[in-house]
Amino acid sequence: MGIVITVTSGKGGVGKSTTTANLAVGLANLGKKVVAIDFDIGLRNLDMILGLENRIVYDVVDVMEGRCNLAQALINDKKSKSLYFLPASQTKDKDILNKDKVKALIENLKESFDIVMLDSPAGIESGFEHSIFLADRALIVSTPDVSSVRDADRVIGIIDAKSERAKNGQEVEKHIIINRIKPDMVEAGNMLSVEDVLSILALPLIGIVPDDEDIITSTNTGTPIVTKEKSLSAEAYRNIARRILGEEVEFLDIKAKKGFLSTLKGMFK
Amino acid sequence: MSLFESFFGKKKSTADVAKNRLTIMLSHERASCKLPYLDDLRNDLINVIKKYTKVEDVKITSHNNQNLELLEVEVILGK
Repeated sequence: MGIVITVTSGKGGVGKSTTTANLAVGLANLGKKVVAIDFDIGLRNLDMILGLENRIVYDVVDVMEGRCNLAQALINDKKSKSLYFLPASQTKDKDILNKDKVKALIENLKESFDIVMLDSPAGIESGFEHSIFLADRALIVSTPDVSSVRDADRVIGIIDAKSERAKNGQEVEKHIIINRIKPDMVEAGNMLSVEDVLSILALPLIGIVPDDEDIITSTNTGTPIVTKEKSLSAEAYRNIARRILGEEVEFLDIKAKKGFLSTLKGMFK
Repeated sequence: MSLFESFFGKKKSTADVAKNRLTIMLSHERASCKLPYLDDLRNDLINVIKKYTKVEDVKITSHNNQNLELLEVEVILGK
């Protein structure tokens, strides 16, 4: 029986889909059978980040409405053989999802996959609620800025109130991923630090991902950065994947790059 | 701390400002989400207190940090 992990954030544009894609690939490369589902009905994006947009025939709504069977809709990634992808519907409305059908689909997927990863939509409307309802674990992505942290806090409260686990008196295991941290700004005191964000949100950390332009180029080509060898952000994602599986991995030391000139500048700032 | 800052004293960093603003805002928001009955409770309290005193308003604030939830009811009887 697999587990359901929901990647969520509240605020849009903080890197939910990028995180989902990289962790799904990372977990598959560690030998787990993974299915990633895009829950952002009407605004799908996980397909392009994974580089699988040209292979879509059916989507998650087609499966739930019975227009095709599950095997027809699942797309197998050619690079990571144990990764499967179920795209969101692009033409339908967010409100098309129905609690019982979502539940039936996810229970079904849990039978044959180790990990079911749900990429939640931004916001706290019905699409989001469906994506957290069946979560065993939640990864809350936040960037170190005030709007993102505030929305993350709100979302954490909703998970505690509205998930099925919460209704059964159990807890959804929740972790924070801090995304797009800029070490030089933190050092200068102009960006919330990892410690600041954690003390505000009061949840354990599972990963810090540095701000990295290579993530933009990897999205351009549809190849998640996690497979790249010499890259700090790729290593950050690989480490998160290992931590999800229970391994203890030390956190990366993300420090500002300092040349002679910037050290000199720092003295007179 | 840079040389300049050590001579002229440090300005409060914007990250500290952000942290303070967030902490205050969230302690307020968490309380109002957790206690949806707060407004009703306040109205009922005012009605009871009005029965015995001339007080027209009651101030209710809730505080919450990581391990303590506190509801503070303040009734000022006179100055």
